[in-house]
Order: sequence, then C-alpha cells, then structure tokens
Amino acid sequence: MTAQDAQEEARHLGSALTKGDREAALAAVRRALGAGADPLALIQEVIVPSLVEVGRRFEELEVFLPELMASGEAGTACSQVIEEEIIRRGGELKAEATIVIGTVQGDIHDIGKNIVGTLLKAHGYKVIDIGKDVPAATFIDAAEANKADVIAASALMSITRAGCREVADLLRERNLREKYLLLVGGGSLDQAYASEIGADGYSSTASGAVEQLKSLLARSREGSRT
Amino acid sequence: MTMNERLVEIFRRSRAGTFMKEAEYDLLLARRARELVHDYEIHFDSQQVCPTDDAMADRVFEAGLQLFTDVGIYHLDTQRVMKFTRGEALEALRQAPSTLHLGEGADQVIASHRSVEDSTPSLNLTGPAGQPCSEEHYLEMLISYAQEPYVEAIESGATLTYNGADIMAGTLMEVKAVQRDSATAREAVRRVGKPGMHIGDCATGMTAIGKMAASDPLNGLRPCDGRLIAQMCELKTNDDQLARVPHLINYGSHRINLMTPLTGGIGGGPEGVAVVSVAEFILGVLCYFATYHYLSITHIKWTNNSDPWGMYVLAMTGQAMARNTHIVMTDDPFTMCGPCTDELLYEVAGHAIIGEVCGYHQHGVGSTGGNEVDHHTGLEAGFQGEVARAATRAHLTRERANEIALALLPRYQDTFKNPKRGKPLAEAYDLRSITPTQEWQDCYRRAKEELTRLGLPFENGPYD
Repeated sequence: MTAQDAQEEARHLGSALTKGDREAALAAVRRALGAGADPLALIQEVIVPSLVEVGRRFEELEVFLPELMASGEAGTACSQVIEEEIIRRGGELKAEATIVIGTVQGDIHDIGKNIVGTLLKAHGYKVIDIGKDVPAATFIDAAEANKADVIAASALMSITRAGCREVADLLRERNLREKYLLLVGGGSLDQAYASEIGADGYSSTASGAVEQLKSLLARSREGSRT
Repeated sequence: MTMNERLVEIFRRSRAGTFMKEAEYDLLLARRARELVHDYEIHFDSQQVCPTDDAMADRVFEAGLQLFTDVGIYHLDTQRVMKFTRGEALEALRQAPSTLHLGEGADQVIASHRSVEDSTPSLNLTGPAGQPCSEEHYLEMLISYAQEPYVEAIESGATLTYNGADIMAGTLMEVKAVQRDSATAREAVRRVGKPGMHIGDCATGMTAIGKMAASDPLNGLRPCDGRLIAQMCELKTNDDQLARVPHLINYGSHRINLMTPLTGGIGGGPEGVAVVSVAEFILGVLCYFATYHYLSITHIKWTNNSDPWGMYVLAMTGQAMARNTHIVMTDDPFTMCGPCTDELLYEVAGHAIIGEVCGYHQHGVGSTGGNEVDHHTGLEAGFQGEVARAATRAHLTRERANEIALALLPRYQDTFKNPKRGKPLAEAYDLRSITPTQEWQDCYRRAKEELTRLGLPFENGPYD
C-alpha cells in the first residue's frame, strides 16, 4: 500500500459519503487506514468537507432528508472506526465542542432537531442526542455526564416551548448557567422568546444553528482568554 | 372486524410488531417510497402542478397502498412496526364514512365525498389552523372566521399562555387552557349567531389529556364537533394519539386525521411525498377511525405548501384518494406571507383552486406558515372559500386550475426567501367591530380583480 493508494481510498470515502453509501464508506475508510492514511486527516479533510457538502446540497434542496440522513449515518460509522484507530495508536480524538441536543419535554417532534444534529456532526462537533420529550433535568444531567460545552433544546409546538424555559431556569437554579452555552430553536420559538428566557443563541434554520454555534463558541473562547 | 375488535387489534400490534430503531424505519420508508415512485412511474413536472393524468393518480393510490402494507406504521413508544394487510386496509376504507353531519341545528352542514372536478362546491371548514395565537385577542380571532359568509365551520388556533403564564403540555395548565379555548370557540359561534356551527378542534390541547378536556357539551366541544388525531412524520403514531380514538368514538365526536407530510423530508421529493400521503390517509382511516382528514403538506425548509411541490402533492394525493375511495378530506394551505399582503391571497387562491378540482373540501389557512403569532385572520379564510366556490361555479377543470395556479405563482414565489409576514389581527382588523382595515380589504379587492382577469369570475363577496 502506498500514499497514492491512501489518497485514492480517501477519494472513494468522500464519494461514498456524499452518496450516503455506508458500507462503501466503511470499506474505503478501512482500506485508507490500512494504506497508512492519517486518521485525523481523514476526518478533517475528507469526512467533514464531504458531509458539509451534503448539508449544503440539502439546504439548497438539491437532495432530500433521506440523503442527508444516509450520509450522516455513514459519516458517524466512519468516525467511530477512525476514533478506534486513533485510540489504538495511543492518541486521542478531541472534538471542537460537545453538544447535548434534544427536544424538550412534551414535544415528540424531532425532525428539525435531527437535521441540526446531523449538520453539527458534519461540522466535526461531538453530538450527544438525548432524543425527544426530554425533561429539563435530563438535558443538564447529560451535559454534566458528557462534559459538554453546549446544550441545544428544540421545541416545535407552541405549548411545549416552555420546556426551553425550564432548561434555562434549571441551569440557573443549579448554578450552571455560565458553564454551558444554551442554544434554542424550533417552530414555536423566536428571538424574542429566546431572549426572554435568557438563551445564548437562537436560530430558525438548521444551517443558521451551526453558524450561531460557531459564533457563540468563538466569542466564548475569546472571552475566556481575556 | 367490528370497531371494538379493530381497536383491540391495533393495540395488540402496537405491542407485538417487529422491533425497529426509528432511524432504521425512516431509511426503510425512504428507500421503499423511492422504489415505488420508480416502479409505478410517478413523475413530477413543475409545469404540471395539477396533473390531469387519471392513470397516474390511480398509480399513486396503488403505490401508497403498497407502501402502507410494506413498511407498516411506526409506533414511537414501543418502537414496533404495526403491519396491516392490503385486505385490512381496503376493508377499513370501505367502512369509512362518505357523508358527515357537521355541527347541529340550523347551522349543521353535510360534508360529502367529493370527486375530481366535482360539480358540488366544497365546504370551507376553517380557522387559524393550529397556528400560534395570543390569549388577548383569541375571541376576536375566532369571530373573524365564524362571521365570514363563505365559512361553514371553524377550527382553532393554539394559544401560548394562560393568564400570561406559559402553557405546558401534559400539565394542568394545558387542561385549563383547553377548557378556556374551547369555551371561547363556543362563545365565538354564539356571538355571530351560528351557535350550532361545527368546531373542528381545540388545538391548544396537544396531548390526549388536553384533547379530551375539550369534551363539554355545554361550554366546550360537542359530539357534533371534532378533534384532531395527528401523525408524526412519516407514518408514525404513539399511545397518546391512539388513546384519543376510543374517547372520541364514545363521545360521538368527529375524528380528524391530521397529516403533515414533509416535502423534501423522509418521503423525498414531491412524487414520493404523494405516495407517503396516500399511506397516511390509510393510517388515519384504519387506526384513527377518521371521519375526515386534513392534508397539511409542509415544505421542509419554508413550512408552506404554496410552492410547486406542495401543490403537486395536494393535487396528486387528492386525485388518488378521490378516485379510489369515498372518504371526506380537506386541503390546508400554508403560506409564507401574512395578512395585509396581496401575496398571501395569491398563495391561498392557487391552493384553493387546486384543492377544489381535486376532491377536497377547504380548510386552513396557516398564514405565515405558523411562524408569527396572531398573523392569521378570517379574511383570508373567507377568501379561500369564495375562490373555491367560484372555481366550481365556473366548472374549472384541472387543466385550467393548473394554468391559473402557475399564473399566480410568480406573484408570490419571490417572497419565499424573504417573506412578507404582514400584520397581526390587531393591526389588520378594527377589533371593536371585528372588521378588516381598509388596507386589508383593498388587498382582497385587488386579488379578486386579478383572479377575474385570469378567468375566475366571482359573485358578490363581503368586501367588494
């Protein structure tokens, strides 16, 4: 196996990911690692840009949700293989940030949350998806257990948006509000409500949520340096 | 199978079906829908948002029935797939009602199955369509719908607060808010002198407890009214939805199957979503014992259905169901723009015309796609009914409906990226007399003039 073989397999990996072909992507990633490809480079230079491209196509309505889901699943599976390889080689994979994401208590609509989660993963973040109809305390417990940086809470229905307020209130009550960035979104929310409950960020779109998060993380890190 | 036997069987299958992770089911459904679109040769042409191909409509029905039997229904609580045979699905469709009595007394209306290009005009069963409403103006909001001459029934919005506090699903606050809002709907129909008018739902109630709390023959919803039982995208249900069914059957109330298929979602493009929508109608008939159905198509990015995809799914699914079943169904326009904009009325008109010639009764309007509080008024809903009636009076064909819808599209399509959200009820109406402002009435007149120029003649309307 040569460096050229590794490059060729990396190209196959990118192609399989954009097609959402999980098995082909896994085979390519294994062959690329076998050919001596740098695991971290596979993530940063192949998996992330491929998934970001699928996310862009989804935003532009060039592909639909099933394609986004399939690429996301394939990307997650490949990342796990690479992470195992990094650990096997004695290294450690450090994500840009860890995000706990869920739909608040009372709300069982999670397609929007799933899209945001997929796009966040595509951008290289570690995403802990705690599902739907999640009590406020569970958001916080999951964030604590996973040493998360961000809590992202979603609510589609109007009478479930109060679940986002509960997360914000409970964070304050437990003196953890400053520890996490709180991002909220979903059909029943707007910027005014997000501000009212004291969330750090709000977005009405999935791609906007990613941009919002990047900006919040940058500001937060800027702040922690000063 | 009797009604009771079927209910017990539904429960049994929700516990005994094949266990499957939700993501796995989604991918299975997406793959099967794509295969069926290919196998049944279902095509989308952006210049044929209202196709006239009867054979394709029948193929969409067959593909939807096939999808339903192949992938089954996903039960979110048990993570099991509930499968039904083709025979069971067809038997449930055969048992479904074709004629309904909505409301009571002098205000009762009869809703019958409509065929493609039916010569009998639709009914307009309308309201804020579950959109967010403030508690401050909720009575005036509902009166604005109930007083419209081209409206035969009202539905409801979802209020956000109870005495200023957030309402939370599944709590006593939800029950309190439902009791208040169903009484407000009752008061609205009384105020306009139509005390027996059908009330479609109390949308503030989101859980089974909330929906059941609306049952109150004196001050809430009566057996002649209805309640929604929803599906989650796509082809999913849960115990909370199913638990409403026996209550509503015993109460004698209408069961309304709410479907919100996502264009660009798990069903894929418009052809796949039409197939998924047929399957969702069958779910509603079989598991919810639905007496009628709301097809509320939702664009995955914009949450409207006034785009070409939304119109195609409306047309194709409607024709498929109208030609192959005898059920009663309604369309449900969701728009990008809001009150006091001409664009909102053009979005509504295109949808209403297609719905009218494709077997639906009218329902809606989800103005601003549900994105803005109180941005929904009776005027656009009455206008929907007026346009629909004009379409049937003019013996509009699907071909002409397609031409008019396509002619209207450029008048609002550019707003999708930057919608004109318009004004809330309190600014679009004089709230003391509950009358649209001059500005809003001018939009109505302009839209009617434009539709007349496009070949849709009107009789007298309320704001001419």
